[in-house]
Amino acid sequence: MRVRVIAFAAALGMALFDAPMARSHHSNVAFEVTKVITITGVVKEFQWRNPHTWVTLAVKDANGKTVDWSVEGRAPGVLLRAGWTRDSLKPGETITVDMSPAKDGTSTGLVARVTKADGTILPNAPPPTE
Amino acid sequence: MTKRKMLSGAILLTLATTAAAADFAGVYYPLQPFGRGTGGQAGARKGPPPRPTQSAPLSDGSQGRAPDAPSLTPEYMAKWEVIRKSRMAGSSEYDNTAKCLPPGMPAMMNMAYGMEVMQTKDKVTFFSELNDALRRVYLDGRKPTQKILNDPTYAGYSTGYWEGDTLVVDTVALHPNSFIEGFSPHSDAMTVKERIRFTGPDLLEDRITVTDPKALTKPWETVKTYRKAKPGTDELREFACAEGLGDAK
Repeated sequence: MRVRVIAFAAALGMALFDAPMARSHHSNVAFEVTKVITITGVVKEFQWRNPHTWVTLAVKDANGKTVDWSVEGRAPGVLLRAGWTRDSLKPGETITVDMSPAKDGTSTGLVARVTKADGTILPNAPPPTE
Repeated sequence: MTKRKMLSGAILLTLATTAAAADFAGVYYPLQPFGRGTGGQAGARKGPPPRPTQSAPLSDGSQGRAPDAPSLTPEYMAKWEVIRKSRMAGSSEYDNTAKCLPPGMPAMMNMAYGMEVMQTKDKVTFFSELNDALRRVYLDGRKPTQKILNDPTYAGYSTGYWEGDTLVVDTVALHPNSFIEGFSPHSDAMTVKERIRFTGPDLLEDRITVTDPKALTKPWETVKTYRKAKPGTDELREFACAEGLGDAK
């Protein structure tokens, strides 16, 4: 995982911003949804909020510099049915996030899946109904 | 025939008609809310991560129009190209739900986050958890007045009747500031016809036909299928979109 993150961060190079991103409210069109990249970092904040949840995590880039990523997840109602709660992620814990990166090259993404340090997987949708 | 016999005949006929009406009340989820192979159980497994969302073609139009997309007239195709360019650039300018506006009919029947149906003899009400959107279908024989027709809304004005166990619904007075299936623009002349019925145990089907003489070269048809929720997932939650509206861009 870590290797993929480093490769991705290196590829983006200067495109990565140091400043934490404003937590804008997007539709899916803001993201490269054909791509899924993986980052691992330490949770700084978890916002259990409509219409989209947000996780901010500190991720070390290729140069060892820490970059804050803000990743956008589905609404609390959907995530609750997918197995999340408002206490699913705690500041200080290490998580891995599979996500689609933002088109604008900022350190933001659309969450596909979150994996906790103990291996617990938090999917972005409830099990299918069929 | 005596008066009494005629009366009992009329009562029996009424009872038969009433008995044929189905009871749609309950909470439902669409069979493929976010596209095939995304999230859910796919996301719950180890291995290659799933894409967060998968609509074909992509919701930003970068892969063109789907073969089953509404057939737009040249005028509305030109409007679609403008919307597509905006979306491909990552803008939410033409995405009503991102701005916490109602998705509108018929797009709201996608019901990606779940649907609750409330039903009485005279009215069926559809609620969408996504964007807390609501629509009412009047069954008591009323028709839209000119005042209603002059005042379009996102959900429109719906009247319906039972054909056996099928609810037939006509929707008019639709706000032009919405998108047919979430992407294609339409005019103020758009109308929507639906045939809603159970097709299997707990399987509700909505056959939707959209007509728009200005925007469409032919009526557009789509079918939505929903499964009734089981205990444990049969409660929808509050969406409260405006919580994040201050951050919208």
